[in-house]
Amino acid sequence: MLASLFTKTLYDQRRGLLGWSVSLVLLVGMYVVLWPSLRDQPSMSDFLKQMPEAFRYLFAATGADMSTPVGYVQVELLSFMGPIAVLVYAIGVGVAVIGGEEDHHTMDLLLANPVGRTRVVLEKFTALALGTFLLAAVTGVSLVGLGSFADMNLPAGDVAAAMLHLALLGVVFGALALTLSASTGRTGLSRGIPAVVAVVAYVVNALAPLVDWLDPFQKLSPYYQYIGHDPLREGVDGPSVLVAVATVAVLLGLAVLGFRRRDIAA
Amino acid sequence: MNELAPVRLTLLRKQFGEGVALDGISLTLEPGEVFGYLGPNGAGKTTTIRLLLGMLRPTSGQAQVFGLDSWRQPVEVHRLVGYVPGESALYGRLTGRQHIAFFDHLRGRDDRAEATALAARFDVDLGRPARTLSRGNRQKLAIVLAVMSAPRLLILDEPTSGLDPLVQQEFHALLGEYTGDGGTVLFSSHVLGEVQRVADRIGVIRRGRLIAVERLQELRARSLHRIRASFLEEVSAEDFAGIRGVQDLSIGDRSLRCSAPQYALDALLKQVSRRSVIDFECAETDLEETFLGYYGPGDTGSDTVTETHGGETDAG
Repeated sequence: MLASLFTKTLYDQRRGLLGWSVSLVLLVGMYVVLWPSLRDQPSMSDFLKQMPEAFRYLFAATGADMSTPVGYVQVELLSFMGPIAVLVYAIGVGVAVIGGEEDHHTMDLLLANPVGRTRVVLEKFTALALGTFLLAAVTGVSLVGLGSFADMNLPAGDVAAAMLHLALLGVVFGALALTLSASTGRTGLSRGIPAVVAVVAYVVNALAPLVDWLDPFQKLSPYYQYIGHDPLREGVDGPSVLVAVATVAVLLGLAVLGFRRRDIAA
Repeated sequence: MNELAPVRLTLLRKQFGEGVALDGISLTLEPGEVFGYLGPNGAGKTTTIRLLLGMLRPTSGQAQVFGLDSWRQPVEVHRLVGYVPGESALYGRLTGRQHIAFFDHLRGRDDRAEATALAARFDVDLGRPARTLSRGNRQKLAIVLAVMSAPRLLILDEPTSGLDPLVQQEFHALLGEYTGDGGTVLFSSHVLGEVQRVADRIGVIRRGRLIAVERLQELRARSLHRIRASFLEEVSAEDFAGIRGVQDLSIGDRSLRCSAPQYALDALLKQVSRRSVIDFECAETDLEETFLGYYGPGDTGSDTVTETHGGETDAG
């Protein structure tokens, strides 16, 4: 497991990854268990329809519809809990791999070996990305697998597409946290800014249909790339994937530049 | 030859915001020497070392290792250097063996045999996670990790501060073998006692300035001897006052007390033996005292230097 900086970073995350995986499986399991009783209550859909428009956009996705398995999963898991879990993980790792290692005084030890700072950033990012994709995969597999017990019959291809977009959302914010921690070494700031940006991006995407002046900004929100095209019904959206990948590439470039220029904290 | 100096600092300066941590340090280490880098805590020792490793970017000036620029060519520099960080920081959850495997990978080497031998020599348990080790054992593990890849330069930031005297001795022996094979050592400490038995030269840094560099042999030659003599007859101060180097002269009732460096001993003894002597005592003061006599306890770190004085110095 310690055969490279990349696997070492994953190895360091093993407890976190295991914990988050178990939590996500339990979360999915809970939604699956609740499905049969909710399905038989048409009032749930009415309830959604009766919500003030702003609330519906904020707390549910567009086209919210609790009467079908796809609509149910979209409202309950994809629009809120899933992204939160993935973001908390990715941002946490993005902060820990650079700034956290400085806080633990191990960065000197690592960098005193013949490894360039560029390589440190890239290998640690790769581990972050893989971990995030792993969590999304666990969520997707448990959705399809556990869902089959409750006859939810979720289309595996579309679930995979939604999970791909979910993972990309996490990687974008993880990369933002990594960039901040690589360029400043400050863990609080590197955790706080992505959290605030995530909330703003969420609100912008959710309320843009209702607020005219937000509209031009909607497409900039990583949430829009994630869920704006309704991946659970429409599958993978190429342009959205490209935007996410390009964002990550730019952030990584900045992380490398920032990390190479600055003093490492002792 | 100059380009290949193991360490070469040229007017090295480092500012953190408004504070000047290093104020233009120039220093060259010779191949095969152990250089003791001394100064109170906060004087700039660690800053120098971290500039030398390319962790910090110099505000001006240059740090070079075997002719390579520490900031611009850190990877090449690190290939030649073994480093023991001051905090003896390790990955808390990794065992010694895992540290060795990880560093082997990062260095592209297989030093397991060497590391295992070193660990046995220093009695380090490689099977336990680093966070369960005592401070001394963590330090020993950090030493194993720095030395195992047979680097050409060892940079040690207070490597022995947590070690007991027996282990320190073993470590000094290791450094002897290492320099015997052509290795060079930069060894920082806030007490002379820690380095005096291994260092060939010492440099004293205070408030970011290198205030002295000297051969330990020369410092020893200047170290003072305390002399007491009692005589059968009255003696006068004039008989001794003229001897070059004699200090703190006090003449009592048929007795003499003074301090004198090595070179003054011959003249002093000859003067003493012109009288009838009852008793004569001559004791060498330890190096630490001589050192403090020359460089003073310092303004910022007097407590650090004097407090620790005496613990290790008397054994040499």
